[in-house]
Amino acid sequence: MILRNAILAAGLVAVSNSTPAQDAPLDGKAEFLANCSACHQAQGTGIKGAFPALAGDAFVDGDAPAAAWVVLNGRGGMPAFRSDLSDGQIAAALSYVRSAWGNAAPPVTAAVVAAVRAKEPAARAAGLQAH
Amino acid sequence: MAISRRRFFEELAAVGGLSLAVAGMEALGFGFASAQTAPPVLTGKGKGVKVVILGAGLAGMTAAYELTKAGYVCQVIEARGFAGGRCQTARKGFSHTDLIGNTQVCDFDEGQYINIGPWRIPYNHRSTLHYTKLFGVMLESFVNDNDASYLYSEKGTGPLAGKPVRKGALATDARGQAAELLAKAVGKGGLDTGLTIEDRDRFVAYLVNQGRLDPKTLAYGPNEERGYDIAHGAGLDPGPGRLSTPYPLADILHTDAWKSLLPLGDHEQQLTMLQPVGGMDHVAKAFESRVGRMIRYDAEVQKIAQDEGGVEVVYSVKGGAPTSIKGDYCLCTIPLSVLRGIDVAVSPAFKTAMADVAYAPVNKIGLQMKRRFWEEDHFIYGGHVYTDQSAINVISLPSSGWQGQKGVLLGYYAFGADAARISAKSPKDRAAFAVAAGQKIFPEYAENFETAFSMSWHLAKYNLGGWAEWSDEGRATAYPVLCKPDGRLYLAGEHMSYLGGWQAGAIESAWQQIGAIHARVNAA
Repeated sequence: MILRNAILAAGLVAVSNSTPAQDAPLDGKAEFLANCSACHQAQGTGIKGAFPALAGDAFVDGDAPAAAWVVLNGRGGMPAFRSDLSDGQIAAALSYVRSAWGNAAPPVTAAVVAAVRAKEPAARAAGLQAH
Repeated sequence: MAISRRRFFEELAAVGGLSLAVAGMEALGFGFASAQTAPPVLTGKGKGVKVVILGAGLAGMTAAYELTKAGYVCQVIEARGFAGGRCQTARKGFSHTDLIGNTQVCDFDEGQYINIGPWRIPYNHRSTLHYTKLFGVMLESFVNDNDASYLYSEKGTGPLAGKPVRKGALATDARGQAAELLAKAVGKGGLDTGLTIEDRDRFVAYLVNQGRLDPKTLAYGPNEERGYDIAHGAGLDPGPGRLSTPYPLADILHTDAWKSLLPLGDHEQQLTMLQPVGGMDHVAKAFESRVGRMIRYDAEVQKIAQDEGGVEVVYSVKGGAPTSIKGDYCLCTIPLSVLRGIDVAVSPAFKTAMADVAYAPVNKIGLQMKRRFWEEDHFIYGGHVYTDQSAINVISLPSSGWQGQKGVLLGYYAFGADAARISAKSPKDRAAFAVAAGQKIFPEYAENFETAFSMSWHLAKYNLGGWAEWSDEGRATAYPVLCKPDGRLYLAGEHMSYLGGWQAGAIESAWQQIGAIHARVNAA
């Protein structure tokens, strides 16, 4: 993350393999509100036509590794959180989403996220570049 | 009726002015310009052919301007009440409501502004510069690098971490001490350079020159490029002044600030760039004054239909009853992030390709300061303060209004997950976040802050992202599909270029697609 930010600041392509510290707080709701709610909204309703709802969504309530993969690597307009959030933070946020607003899926463990992270990272965009 | 790729290129080549001369230029080693330098020359048939253009950003207005000159009849459908697309400047009275529902009305003083979209033009974007010159948009220098500016890193260790350091001093010290180590090793024959003795001496001379080393001892020390603790001046006091002391190499290596010493690694980034006097939206306004009569404002596209005979676009003005407009061709410049949510009649392959690109969350914030303390107290005139503070990245100082009373600086320019996180805050809290970060670098920051205007492009209804981010895979598979027309629908915009996020990408993409439409009209 350090390198990523420095390179971003430098207006260069961002590439990072670093993993954030694992000692972050594990308040799933707080992680969700801080990192996800701008787009998906605090009540998980999303914004029609722009950002998908998470409340009542079969995908987030489904296969945990698949959901973790999307958070780690991004999809569509969603950024990759691989460099920004620890396995524990992602697990906590996902577990919150899977239990809030009527969702009722089992929690996601940090180990599940770590296993997905360890797999070959997705070929993401060429990078975020200053313009 | 999709035409074959081969035919497409044959027709493209037949359109004389489509700047294929550039290929020849590149062969000669002059490949410094963006891919196209002048609009296509649309000679031949075209009169009366109707083109419906979706979006009055730079791509759409470029197309309307050039096609109209060639006799085409253009109607531009624009969702907003003003033209320009992302080419927007926030100044007094400018209003924006984001998807969360935050409404901001800019209350900067008269004459103050922030370019919330594009903000700098490189010399090699000759397409953008073609229109600024043609339309008489006055340009001024944009300071894109400044040795007097600070680097501020709090993620490293050592005495330089968490402390603003002058970029030029750190750069000179890092380069000088690296040159010293290398020169001494080479001089002793400690490196297998493969150089002859004579060339080795010349190499050492080069290092002495580059590193400002003492030619005899090969040592790096205080020097004028690094600067003075007491500046030289008149008489005996200060007289010669006193040179400052270099940072030890270990201190430089332990801070992360050195990672920002290469800010200009990008083809588009140069030391000096250009900006329109008074705000980037002068580019948009120059186009608008020429094609504004063709623009239907506040018109949200609901459906794009087509058949063998033509296209039909259904739109609604301010939520009113749907209206439809027909044409022979449609040039759609709506960002793919938004187009994905519209009912578009295209092939399944085209639709799949449309879904394949990501859009970057991007944040910017302008902070109006009571006093230009960066100039008055820190002697920094323009340029960027680079920082590794999360979700800030850079604080940029204005390249205009030198020595005036107030100024608006860019308080952050952040992307991706960082941008998503900060955009969840209220505009007031975003400003507080930015001010707290700047206060760590400039002690005068918070006390001079007056008012802010923030933009999160992923939360802008008709953009849903700052720019398209193509993955390597998307470039290889989806992008070529979208570069070709689907029936009578053509796409244009920065997303349909390798100049993603730059105005030149929008303009050149429009040039390319109107050239293709014109070739097709003339082949028919």
